[in-house]
Parts: sequence; C-alpha cells; structure tokens
Amino acid sequence: MTTLDALIAKIRAKNPSHADKIEPITQALGAGFHKSANAFFEKYHSYLKRNNLSLDFSVDCYLHMIEDMLEERFNFIRTGNYSNTSFDDVEQRVYGNSEIMKYHMHGLVLAQYLWFDQYERIFFFTENIERFIQNRNNYLEIGGGHGLYTLEALNIIPDIKQFDLVDISQSSLDLAKGIIDDPRINFYLKNIFDFTEEEKYDFITMGEVLEHVEQPLELLKKAGDLLREDGSFYLTTPINAPMIDHIYLFNNEEEIRTMIDQAGFKIELEKIVISEKVSAEKAAKNKAPLMYAAFLKKK
Amino acid sequence: MERSKIFIELTELFIDNLDEEGLVLKDTTTAMEIDGWDSLTHIILVVAIEKHFKIRFTSREIHSWKNVGEMINSIEKKVE
Repeated sequence: MTTLDALIAKIRAKNPSHADKIEPITQALGAGFHKSANAFFEKYHSYLKRNNLSLDFSVDCYLHMIEDMLEERFNFIRTGNYSNTSFDDVEQRVYGNSEIMKYHMHGLVLAQYLWFDQYERIFFFTENIERFIQNRNNYLEIGGGHGLYTLEALNIIPDIKQFDLVDISQSSLDLAKGIIDDPRINFYLKNIFDFTEEEKYDFITMGEVLEHVEQPLELLKKAGDLLREDGSFYLTTPINAPMIDHIYLFNNEEEIRTMIDQAGFKIELEKIVISEKVSAEKAAKNKAPLMYAAFLKKK
Repeated sequence: MERSKIFIELTELFIDNLDEEGLVLKDTTTAMEIDGWDSLTHIILVVAIEKHFKIRFTSREIHSWKNVGEMINSIEKKVE
C-alpha cells in the first residue's frame, strides 16, 4: 500500500464522507500525480517517524483543520468577510498557539496532494518553471510553509547555485526543513521586509502568502525589490477561501490582477482552478474557493 | 410557526438555493437524494435558512441533521 493509499484509508476510517469526496478525485489524477504525491508523502512520513509521530497523528491534524475550515466558511457566507481583520488577530489566535499551529500546519501538508486544486498549483509550477528561469544563480521562496515548492525546484533545476527559503514562523521553518532534509538549502527565520535589497534573485516563489497579510500590495512590491530585472516570480493566492489564518480577502481574480499590475509586474502565464468539482457558474453563485497562480515578470 | 408552513417555506429555499425546480421534500429526504445538495451548497442553504427565519444554528445542530425532518425540528424550536 502506498503512503497516499494509507492516508486515504485512515481518513476513511475516521471521516467516511470526506474520504468519499477526495478518493475518486485523487484516483482519477493519474500516474504522474501518484508518483509525485507518494514521493512527497514518503519524505513527510520519514520526517514524522524521526519525530516519533505517525500518519494517524497527521490525519487527525488534517481532519481538525477541515472542521476549522467549515466553521470559517459558515462565517464567510454569513458575513461576506474573513473572520480575521488583522495580523494581531491571527497572531493571538493561531501563530501564538503551538497546538493550533501544529495541527494546522500538518493538516496543510496533507492538503497539498489530497486537494486536487493544490496539486494543480504544484503541477503548474513544475511544468513551467524551467521556461521562466533564465539565470541560475539563486532561488528564493518566501513563506516556505511545507517546503514543497523548493523541494520541486531542487529536483527540477538542481544546478541553481543558491537556494534560500525565508519564513517568519519558526515552527513553519522547522517543518519545511524537516521535510526537505537537504543541506543545499539555506533557511532564514526572518520577516521578508528585513531582507536587504542588495540581494537580488533570479527566481522568487511566493505560494499562499498574500492572503496572510494586511497589506499584500506592499509584500508584492517587496518581492519586486528582491527580484532581478530579468527575473521571474511565481505567485499563488486563493480567492474566497476562508481559513483560520487568512486575513486579506480577494473576491475575484481581477482584484489579484490589478494588484499585480500596481506592484509593477506583468502576467506571463496564469492558471485559475475552481476548488470544487462544479461549473464556473455554480462556483460564482456559491462563492466557491478558487486557486490563482501565475508566473510574473517585472514590467 | 406551524410545521407545515415551515415545510413550504423551506421547500422554496431549497429550490432557490439548489436550483432544483419542482423539488418535493419529505421528512426523510437526505442530501444523497438531491443532486444539487453538496458540501458547497449546503452552507449556502443553511445560511439562507438562517436569514429567512431570522435564526442562528449552532455547529452542533448543523452536524447533527441526518435528513430534512431533523433540520425542520431545529427550525421549529427556534421560530416563534
């Protein structure tokens, strides 16, 4: 049994209806998905074992995160807003609570492949990164989280001379470091705004970070300051996707495009995926979450 | 409010929010029996019911419903 199969079997034992939802979708994704998912989950499983944790622990974290998401979604549909309005809110509620951080982050690790829209985001990245990376001096990931993007970049373009990953959270950094487990990566516990602008990168990845800050435009501009003139920038952020640690709400893709433009970038290639298996019309009517991803360059 | 009146108004809310023209609800109806009633529309539907009847459900109530009848029991307890 593969690690992916084992995870889904454990989810089925604890939450059959959720397993009914995700299993047929993951099964239909084909050999490439299964190879990639199992490679990542095996690395993750090794990390769990080194830390005396089990897949059951991980599945419990994931299901706890799903419950939180449902609560947040009810709030979002009732109010039209995310429940957090400031970074301080999230700091107090999530980042400052080690237990919540633990289950939320481990839950997100499983979501990278158990949710098809998350996989689409990774696939879009791995399929296209080589087209957008001209010089291979250095690579930066802002807000590394689970480390999956850096891991994939390392596999696809191992000849990049310098891989840097920066995250504001120690526990997030520890998780990324533990899963990737590769000495070629430099990990920095730092606020990205404290990175000096003398350091310029050929490629920057920032996956699912904009929605965690109060002023995403400033963050985009900072990424622009750190990017070489001919460099490329991979950005992802969700639309209508309430979570316990999300602050900034993008209501539609046009709001993201406008902000990208205001920050001085142009869109080279983009992808939008509806996070549920429903039509675009039904998604819009019911405010379904959307995944937005794009490769950008400076204007 | 009489249960029969709740039933009629609830049916209209189901039709409007699930795009299920001509839908006939029974106490025993479950989400499995209605195409448009999925995890996405369930939340929209529940919030529409809250707004219509001017009530608020707890998470425990929402998770406890096994069919339409149990949903109506919760509404009945909350409306005057």
